[in-house]
Order: sequence, then C-alpha cells, then structure tokens
Amino acid sequence: MNELFQFDADREAISAAKVRALEALLIKKGVIGSDSVDTVLEHFEKVAGPFNGARIVARAWVDAEFKKRLLDDTPKAIAELDLSQGMEGAEGEHMAAVANEPGVHHLIICTLCSCYPWPVLGLPPYWYKDPVFRARGVREPRAVLREFGVPVAQETVVKVWDSSAQIRWFVVPERPPNTEHMSEEELAGLVTPESMMGVALVQLPSPAAT
Amino acid sequence: MKLQHTLGGLENLGPVNVDPRVFVEPWEKRIFGIHTVMMAQSAHLQDALPRYPVGTLPTTFKDTWTWASLRTGAEAMQPFEYFKYRYYEKWLGGIAQFFIDRGYISADELIELMRLYREEPAAALPVARNEALQSQVVDYLMRGDSGLRPRVTAPRFRAGDSVIVADPPAADHTRLPGYLRNKRGTVDRVYPGAFEYFVSTGPDGLQGAMPVYRIAFDACDLWGVDLSEPRTVVHADLFEVYVAQGAS
Repeated sequence: MNELFQFDADREAISAAKVRALEALLIKKGVIGSDSVDTVLEHFEKVAGPFNGARIVARAWVDAEFKKRLLDDTPKAIAELDLSQGMEGAEGEHMAAVANEPGVHHLIICTLCSCYPWPVLGLPPYWYKDPVFRARGVREPRAVLREFGVPVAQETVVKVWDSSAQIRWFVVPERPPNTEHMSEEELAGLVTPESMMGVALVQLPSPAAT
Repeated sequence: MKLQHTLGGLENLGPVNVDPRVFVEPWEKRIFGIHTVMMAQSAHLQDALPRYPVGTLPTTFKDTWTWASLRTGAEAMQPFEYFKYRYYEKWLGGIAQFFIDRGYISADELIELMRLYREEPAAALPVARNEALQSQVVDYLMRGDSGLRPRVTAPRFRAGDSVIVADPPAADHTRLPGYLRNKRGTVDRVYPGAFEYFVSTGPDGLQGAMPVYRIAFDACDLWGVDLSEPRTVVHADLFEVYVAQGAS
C-alpha cells in the first residue's frame, strides 16, 4: 500500500546515512560500543533463529511423547533438546507451542506490534510486522491464509493467537505425508519459519528440484 | 481512540504484503541492533530477575528503555504516517528522536554527520570497543527479562469463566488490542504467577505484577455473524486489569 504515499527518491539512502550517523554519535558519546550492534546481530545468526524451531518441530514429529510434553510445558520440553543456551533468553522467557492437526489450524499474530519467539524463530519476517497482516489476520484468517497459498477446509477450526502479554506463540506444523523414511535431521530441513507461524504447510521438495 | 491500538479488524486494506525478508534494507539491521543494545542496558534491569549490573556498566546510557518505550512512540505517530513508513523506518525515527529529546545527542550534530555519511556512505564508524557492555548484551540476550513475579492477589477469575473485556480510556500506550474492548470471551487458562509490564500505562491500567489470563473469543462475538469466518477462535493473553467483569 506504500504506493499511496509520496516518498523521497533517496528514501533509503537518507535512512542509511541517518542510522550510520546515529550509531557513530552513540559510539562517540559512550552510549554503545563499536562492537555492540554486531554482537546483537551475531546472536541472531548463531544462537537464536528458525533453525532451533525446526529441530523442535522435527523432534515432535518423530517422538509423540516429546510432542505431548512440548504442548504441555514448552520451555521444559525445549530444555530437553541439545540446543544452544539461551532458549529462555530475550523474547523467549515464556514461549508456548500449539500444534496443527487434522481439523485444527493455528495462526500466530501480534496485532499491537510484532511479538515473536526470538530464540526459536529468530526475527519476524516483514509481512508479520506490516499493518495489513496485523489488521486482517484476526478478522479474516482464512482469506489471509489463501493469499499465502494455504487453503483451509471449511470444516477446519482456525485458532488465531494474538500475542499481547508475556507469551510468545509458535506453531508445530503437520508432518507431511511420505516422510517415514526421513531422518530427524532431514525432517528439520523441511521446516520453514512460515510453517511455524501457521501461514505455510510443510512440503517435500518437488521432484524437479531434487 | 488510536488507530494503532485498533488495527485488528480494520477493513479495506487490500492484499497482505508477503515479503519474507526480516530486513528489507541492509541499514535496518543497524537500528534493530541499536534498539537491542538499549534494551540490554535499560536502567530497569537492575531489578530484573537476573540482577543485571547495569548500574555499574561503563556506559553513558542511564534511561529505562523497554518495549513499552518503542511501542509508545509508534502509538503516538500520526496514523497516516504510521502506515506510510516501514517498520524499521518508524524505529529509526523514534529512537533518533529519543536520543535528541533526552540530550544524548543534538539534532544539529546528527544532521551534520548524516551529511557526511550521505557523501561517503562507506566512511568508517568510530572504533571504541566496550567489552563490559558486550558481555551485558550477550547476557541479556541469553537470559532475558522475565516479567514473572509472585502473586500478591488471588486471580479474580477461573478457567471456564465467561468474562467481558474492559474499556479503559485510550492512553499513550496499551496492551489491550482495541478489537477486544467490551467483548465477551471465556477464560481458558489462568497463567501461574503474576506478570509485570515493567512500566505503568497510567489510566490504561498496567501497574505492577498482576495475573494474566488466556481468553478465547468466538469470532462471531468479535465481528458479528455476518462479518465472521466460520469456526474461528481468537485467543489473547490479557492482563487482569483488562478484564472488567464476569458475564452471565
């Protein structure tokens, strides 16, 4: 919807210069160090990211008892896995998983801002933060899911989870059919961030792509 | 009433932007990082569950900076501007203004330096590492800042209770999604303990630790039967002050 507005032609160059000037001044004034911002960004490459969520989902697919524990007490179940330290760190202090199943489809949203379970999913994609998704996801989730290419059957119950207090939700998607031969690691490779937000189904790579 | 408090349910916005990128432009990473460093050295972390040593950090940052600070700024924007600018553009505007308003930097020196970086985008940043702050940033990211506190008062509602959501005055900041105001829902979980939001939202009602409820709303009770999709349930976690009364 940005085409409704007039923007400076050098909109991005202005922002890029502004953020660089701001960071330079904050370093100069001792508000942050010259290594501080990179330290944050590195955390999201190495520690917190959707690679953790994918491993949690894959384990839930191969171990029904683990899945039960995950839905019952998410942080405690996550702690069983050999993931990096920090899974109860910033924006993961109180996480909760919900699982798609035949007849029930979950969608996570934050209508007030962009709450998201950082340790297991990393940082949210642009669309999750855009006002259009946030406005429409709670009123017409099925229509929104169709736009993402996910048809939801009429008889399926759609459950939308609006994060407004301490809990950060994520979705355990359904395991795709014909994956019995795959290892837990291979299964984790199929899990996308979008599938853990409820706007994508997990799919096998198409034969053409393999 | 503020548009930003009432986004949920807004009509006629057209198709969802499905851009999967986290950072649409490379510069956006830097403002995300600056914000997170501010979060990691916020004055309120002195009293966090891990008692972070923010009071003795070698830094000139002495303010409280929580999600509430950033959100309050976004909620204060002119609504058309809120829609006009991308997510991290709003962050950049809000955070730069905060540092100017609080006297950490001056508007003039920011403009001056922007000019330099416009002319020479690759010009280097100053080098002044801060290892103590770096450890605090890592520690904060790894251990977080839980709002969980012991209960002072017993929760007023139980799982299964039918309740009506409150309609407090529109304040600078709220954690009550507007589309839930005055609506009927069912408590489906009372979270153990009580939760802090770290700052007060004034007349909106958040102050200190309080019970939080997971409340389920039938979409028909939110939007009416005609405007609702079938078999849809919306769940929201609401601080107790946002739950007005039991419904019969």
